[in-house]
Amino acid sequence: MHLVYPVVVSALLFSIGVYGVLARRNAILVLMSVELMLNAVNLNLVAFDVWLGDRLHGGQVLTLFVIVIAAAEVGLGLAIVLAVFRTRRTVDVDRLRALAEVVRTPDPGRPEGEDAS
Amino acid sequence: MIAVVALIVLLPFAAAVAGLLATRLGTRNLGARSGPAAYRRAAWFAIVPGAVSAALTVWLATALARRTAPAGGRFWSELLPGRAEGTLTLVETGAAPISLTLRADGLSVLAGILVVVVALAVQVYSVGYMRDEPRYPSYSAFVSLFTSAMLLVVYAGDLIVLYVGWEIMGLCSYLLIGHWWEDRANSRAAVKAFLVTRLGDVGFLFGIFILGTAAGSFRIDDVLRADILQHAENRGTLIAATLLLLAGVAGKSAQVPLQTWLPDAMAGPTPISALIHAATMVAAGIFAVARLYPAFLAAPPTLDVLGVVAAVGMLGAALAALAQSDLKRVLAYSTISQLAYMAAALAAGSDRAAMFHLVSHGAFKALLFLCAGLVIHHVGSNLISHMGGLRTALPVTFWTMTVGFAALAGLPPASGFFSKDAVISAIEHGTGPAQPFVQASALLTVGVTGAYAARAWLRTFFGPTRIEPLAEPPPGVAHVFDGREAPASMLWPAGVLAVPALLLGLAGPMTGVEIEWGSAAVSLAVALLGAGIVYALWRAAPEQDPARLLGPFRVPCERAFYVDAAYAALVARPVLRLARGVVRTDARLVDGAVRGSGRATLGLSALVRRAQNGNAQLYVTGLLAGIVLIAVAAVVLT
Amino acid sequence: MSWLPIALVAVPLLGALIAPAARDRAVTWGIAISAVVLALAVTLAAVFDHARPAAMQLRTDRPWIPGLGLRFHLGVDGVSLPLVVLTALLTFLCFVHLAGHPPAGGRTGALVVTLLVLEVGMIGTFLALDLLLFFVFFEVVLVPMYFVIALWGGAGRRAAALKFILYTLLGSAVLLIGLLVVWTQAGTLDMVALAGRHGSGIARSAQIVAFLAIGLGLAVKTPMWPLHTWLPDAHTEAPTVGSVLLAGVLLKMGSYGFARIAIPVLPEGAAALAPWLGALAVVGIVYGSLACLAQRDLKRMIAYSSVGHMGFVLLGFASLTPVGLNGALFANVAHGLITGLLFFLAGAVKERYGTADMRRLGGGMLRRLPYVASLLTFACVASLGLPGLAGFWGEMLALLGAFRPAAVVSRPLFLVFMAVGGLGTVLTAAYFLRMLSRVTHGRPVETIPPGPPLATAEGVREVLSEAGEGAEPVEPVAAAAAVAALEREPEAVADVGEAGATGAARALGAGAADAVETGQGKRPFRDVTAHELAAWLPLVALIVLFGLWPKALLAVTTPAVQALLGPGVAP
Repeated sequence: MHLVYPVVVSALLFSIGVYGVLARRNAILVLMSVELMLNAVNLNLVAFDVWLGDRLHGGQVLTLFVIVIAAAEVGLGLAIVLAVFRTRRTVDVDRLRALAEVVRTPDPGRPEGEDAS
Repeated sequence: MIAVVALIVLLPFAAAVAGLLATRLGTRNLGARSGPAAYRRAAWFAIVPGAVSAALTVWLATALARRTAPAGGRFWSELLPGRAEGTLTLVETGAAPISLTLRADGLSVLAGILVVVVALAVQVYSVGYMRDEPRYPSYSAFVSLFTSAMLLVVYAGDLIVLYVGWEIMGLCSYLLIGHWWEDRANSRAAVKAFLVTRLGDVGFLFGIFILGTAAGSFRIDDVLRADILQHAENRGTLIAATLLLLAGVAGKSAQVPLQTWLPDAMAGPTPISALIHAATMVAAGIFAVARLYPAFLAAPPTLDVLGVVAAVGMLGAALAALAQSDLKRVLAYSTISQLAYMAAALAAGSDRAAMFHLVSHGAFKALLFLCAGLVIHHVGSNLISHMGGLRTALPVTFWTMTVGFAALAGLPPASGFFSKDAVISAIEHGTGPAQPFVQASALLTVGVTGAYAARAWLRTFFGPTRIEPLAEPPPGVAHVFDGREAPASMLWPAGVLAVPALLLGLAGPMTGVEIEWGSAAVSLAVALLGAGIVYALWRAAPEQDPARLLGPFRVPCERAFYVDAAYAALVARPVLRLARGVVRTDARLVDGAVRGSGRATLGLSALVRRAQNGNAQLYVTGLLAGIVLIAVAAVVLT
Repeated sequence: MSWLPIALVAVPLLGALIAPAARDRAVTWGIAISAVVLALAVTLAAVFDHARPAAMQLRTDRPWIPGLGLRFHLGVDGVSLPLVVLTALLTFLCFVHLAGHPPAGGRTGALVVTLLVLEVGMIGTFLALDLLLFFVFFEVVLVPMYFVIALWGGAGRRAAALKFILYTLLGSAVLLIGLLVVWTQAGTLDMVALAGRHGSGIARSAQIVAFLAIGLGLAVKTPMWPLHTWLPDAHTEAPTVGSVLLAGVLLKMGSYGFARIAIPVLPEGAAALAPWLGALAVVGIVYGSLACLAQRDLKRMIAYSSVGHMGFVLLGFASLTPVGLNGALFANVAHGLITGLLFFLAGAVKERYGTADMRRLGGGMLRRLPYVASLLTFACVASLGLPGLAGFWGEMLALLGAFRPAAVVSRPLFLVFMAVGGLGTVLTAAYFLRMLSRVTHGRPVETIPPGPPLATAEGVREVLSEAGEGAEPVEPVAAAAAVAALEREPEAVADVGEAGATGAARALGAGAADAVETGQGKRPFRDVTAHELAAWLPLVALIVLFGLWPKALLAVTTPAVQALLGPGVAP
């Protein structure tokens, strides 16, 4: 099989994942999209590993690393999402704006004490 | 000898410092209210140095008279031939140097004698006049400071030194006019005097700049010998310089158009009016022109301007004097008119006549003011309508004031007759395009002068005694009237000044001032005509004011042709309005720009802060966009 | 290597570091340290070779940051010597004043430390001979002065302090750009070397850019119209010692920069921009004077008068002649002395009356506080430039410089400037005399106008406000006392209108009121105290001395100025 097939699939999967991270409102779906991105990367790694014929199989080893890290990250992420749901009763990412800044323009103020009649 | 001159100038200055700082030392009362011990000490501080200065001036005059005359001197070289000059130090400025120089020649000694004699008379007079007044120690200290400043002007050998004395006189005038500052009107009069003269002094300073820079030095001798006086191609510069100097002269000597301060300056105590606003400070302008006369002679257009100014001033002021109801204001306008005479004499080319009239006028006008002070002290009011029939109550005052009025009107044998004749004959012999106007004005003014002098004399000393009840003073305060005419300390100076007012004229012919009998007779006739008309009107109705002969012009004359009101409307009020506008501009525009920059920055930051909306996905989007851009840039640019 | 300039900078710094240990005796410690600095400054003046004021003397030149080529270069010549002595003197007098008048915000120890750090910056600026060392000291003064205004100032102090520091910091940033341009073009930071070259190594366009940048930065500090608006607020809100040092020294740092850096190092830039400098200077003179005429607050009025006076300084600089620079430097020192005294007096008035608002001060100060009012009259007369006092010579020489400016600038233009400056002196006299007339003249006690008994405090206030416009101002203390009396006893209103008013008036009219009941409680109302006299008399003496003997300053500055302007200038 030519290299291009798994690479294109991986790119497509990655793009879907990026879209999901940026545009989905549900936090769990965002996590799922992150998983999708990571799996796309895994596919890419394995494909290139086979194509390059690496004797140490660096790509496939790295894939195992990524699977483990993805699992840990999803566990932690879901725990956070559960904590947020318990306190805020929502997992809508658009509603979580506590880091926002309220925009206000105060006036530097006028001096007193002159005869402006 | 120059040390003597320095001593003459410095003794009154030391008296002033002592009077301000040391009158209460050693007494137990260091508070604000001075006790009688402080008053006595202040009187000693005032009189003793003044007397010593006067004695030294007389000595100086005799010393100078014994010298031999240098070649090509001015008119005073025949009277007092000697000269003394000494420089303390040269101050390097980076441009023309300033030399701290004093000089004494005939002109200075002539004016100097006038100053010290009148100053001493006024100091002695003030001891009695100001006895019950507050703040006598500071008053006498300021009078001493003024005397010192005037003497500095008279004996200055450097234009900047002259200017220093000139302005210090202005300050003393301000402080003394405002002596009774509890009444804000006096304070306003003092401020007006200072500001009007200061305006003239700015021009004076610029004239000094031109002369000093052209001569390369500010010393008067260097200036008078400078090139610009010699060569015709520099005439423009010289005319500009002398015109600017005239601005200062007009301010100090109360000539048109800067004459409005002098009548209001009568708000000060009468001895001050006698010293500053009659005899000395206002004469300083005339003196300055006489001192720099070679420069003025080399710039005829300036002298023409001076002549026109003098002509307008002398007649206008005389008409105004005829209509005044306040005795001191009559004398004030009279001073303006007589100073215009001196200016006209200078314009006609005779500084000799001008100086003669200056000295004689100094004597008789000071005398008139001191006597007016005696009358006011007795009556308790300045208004002529409150006076009348005082001939019997105030005999000494009557005779001395008669001498003064006779000198003012120009009746022989008083000094005014001779000096006025000298002025009029100088005007007659003058050349220049304005001469007919000046001569006509001078002759008319002689008549009007006789008229107002007669009016004041008759209404003060003759006629029915007014029984205007004085306002009852609060209980416990001593009444003004104490039964006798006045304390001796007030009568003696008046008597002493009456002597030169009467006899100084006889000294004129001895010093070479010729009497032209023709013009003298004409002016005498005109003066008697003016006095006669007033006398007739007065005889017809002693109760009424002879000034009614002015008819409908009475009110404009009394208001001095509304010049004051014009200045208030054209200068004072617009400046204040402009000032308020400036404050508004500063708050809104200039500071508004500063505050606006602050607001703009805050607005800009608000704009940028919109990106911080707390949405994590937006942040990641931005991150991604940045990465894409960098990747594209890296691929494209390498 | 001379230790004297180093000591002048090190002693206040060490004093500031040790001051917190002094605790209650902080002010005494401050007086001691500033007295030592004053003694060192006087020693500097004595050791200075007065025969060669143009040469830089008592120099210290050590490497400081070798990698950048910065050197710790200190020295003094005829231009900086008077300013160093002035700074030491004013700081010492401020501490003496502080001994008798503890600051309103408390924390006296902190104020002492702040003032000592301020002194380090001020003296260092006048001693520095390396461009960036000058800049460092220039900046050092900003933070202490910010704290002085922000912590110990008046009601609007936060805004005023913020405006002060941001505005001057912006100016300093522009100044730094200019200094860096000079550095890159000339290759050296040494002021002595740069002044000696008279701009020969720097291209004309670079000189103009550098002069513009340096000039703008210094113009904010000077202050020059239209960059002056930080000054009135800062002065109005600052405490007395802050105002004195701000007006007396900080403003001099800006104009000193012109004399030391901008004009000698960048003569072609100066020649190109001198007309602008002169124009803005005379606008400042007239604008400042007009603004003073309409002011209500005494300290604000004196602040605007500073704008006017520094206009004369800048006019002298713009003329680019020895006499003009002489006048500017003389006016600098004179303004420091006179305006320092004025702010001391304004602080004294504000402390006694509780306000500096001229309408509320009423009049008649010559009756209530004769010594303070007499000194105020003296200071105002000195400030309006009366000959015989120090203020005259600076103004006169600056006008003389404008009368015949350097050949590279347009003479008719400068003649116009000179005429406008002359009119400015008349306006200066007008506003000072008007202020004196309002504040010191007139009657001190105006009784509340008699009439039917005033039933309520509102009624009293109404009558007072009617009497306000155009009529004689009502004595604020009597009125406040009457109002306070009414508010305390609302039942006894029947005859309180007349009796209470006349009673208050009688008590005050006795003239010996030691303590006056105001709305805020008892407030001492004595005439001048010993501490105040000790702080003010040296200034009075120096004003008279320099007025009568200008040679004392001119002998030192004239040769230095001629050296700064270069050999091509006619004396």
